[in-house]
Amino acid sequence: MTARQTRSEVTRRKIIDAAVELFNDVGYSGTGLGDIIERAGMTKGALYHHFNSKEALAVAIINEGSDILLKTFQGISRSSAPALESMIHGVLVTVDLANTDKLVRMGAVLLRIFAKFSEASTLNYGVWLAEMGEQARRAQAEGDLRDDIDAQAAGEFIISAMLGAELISNAVSGGGDLLERVTGTWEFLLSAIASEQSLPYLREFLARESLRRRGQSMPT
Amino acid sequence: MTDPADRRADSARGPLVRAAAQQFAHKPYSLVNLDDVVAAVDISRGAMYFHFPSKQALATAVIAEAHELGRQAAAGVLANKLSGLETLIDLSYLVAVLDIGEDLARAGLYLLESIGRVEGLEARSLREVVEALAHIVRRAVSEGDIAEGCDPEDIARLLVSTYIGIRHTSDLDNPQQFLLDIEKAWVLLLPGFANPERMRYLSQFVRRRTAVASGKVSPQRDPT
Repeated sequence: MTARQTRSEVTRRKIIDAAVELFNDVGYSGTGLGDIIERAGMTKGALYHHFNSKEALAVAIINEGSDILLKTFQGISRSSAPALESMIHGVLVTVDLANTDKLVRMGAVLLRIFAKFSEASTLNYGVWLAEMGEQARRAQAEGDLRDDIDAQAAGEFIISAMLGAELISNAVSGGGDLLERVTGTWEFLLSAIASEQSLPYLREFLARESLRRRGQSMPT
Repeated sequence: MTDPADRRADSARGPLVRAAAQQFAHKPYSLVNLDDVVAAVDISRGAMYFHFPSKQALATAVIAEAHELGRQAAAGVLANKLSGLETLIDLSYLVAVLDIGEDLARAGLYLLESIGRVEGLEARSLREVVEALAHIVRRAVSEGDIAEGCDPEDIARLLVSTYIGIRHTSDLDNPQQFLLDIEKAWVLLLPGFANPERMRYLSQFVRRRTAVASGKVSPQRDPT
């Protein structure tokens, strides 16, 4: 990368960080491009060089946040673990990330605002549906997912259920009980989709995982 | 910055190390003929000596690259943030799968034993691995999977020596058997330090890893 490209990337980063902070503090609709310019300490020209509108900025935040989540999830999927374990573990790790990382969190919020109005959200959800479907097919081949259900449908349903849990948690507790809700949703899902012989083990895997994340001792 | 001749020389280094790894992975150190390495890369012996003045220098480079491969793969496992003991089990299967399928990893481990006495290379590498594993063992103790009162370094050393031993007693060219031997070792070792109440879960965890690793080293045939 040339020095010029590096400088340009630093500028872009500053603008995005300032936008994330402002959207977070005063909301997307309450933030003007002028506020972002002021917060980032940029000129108007510098901002317009990178983003020609507030919506372009929002799309960039959605894409970056989604990219971080997807890469994290895919890293876990490629591990030596059976697919259904990776799905459980991957969902809990990404949910935690969406709750703690400012940019990822704002990306998720903006994705909701833009749903149905933007190509970015269609693309983002599409990638997740494909990824989950793929993992579900692997889980079925490994005998963890019941063999009498449609793997793609199961994968897509898991996403819907987790997004719903996140929505309710944000509405009810500002995201404070997210882990409990997501764990509870997995408990119901496992009973429905896991094969009979794997169910007891997977329940234990989930219980250990969720307690460890809450910093409590794991069950014996 | 670099003239074209330098760049050409640079580009031969990687292929030389890979060709050497292929030889060292399947032959004892003393039987590896550098002519075979040179022929695989299609350069002159003189050009090879420009990079590696001796067989030992080439072997040391293979060890270093294998070490880097292992380090990166291990970082991937750690990034998954599983519990400590689950991470240790995952790491053993990761190393086994690399050892079975990647010449670089296999050559690195063989060479460490055959020429590792030089400059204390083997001792230094093993100490580094033991320290890293002991760190994860400590986490497993705090999570209650490993009983308190065990010395983390003792457990880490036991795991490393068991793996090195299995490389000798089992057969890397029979992947299914090798993975089964890793599983048996875990089932025998775990009761020595794992919390007894978690044994049932942990032995299932181990068996499930064997199944996944077996699929990786010899992809399942399409049922149709």
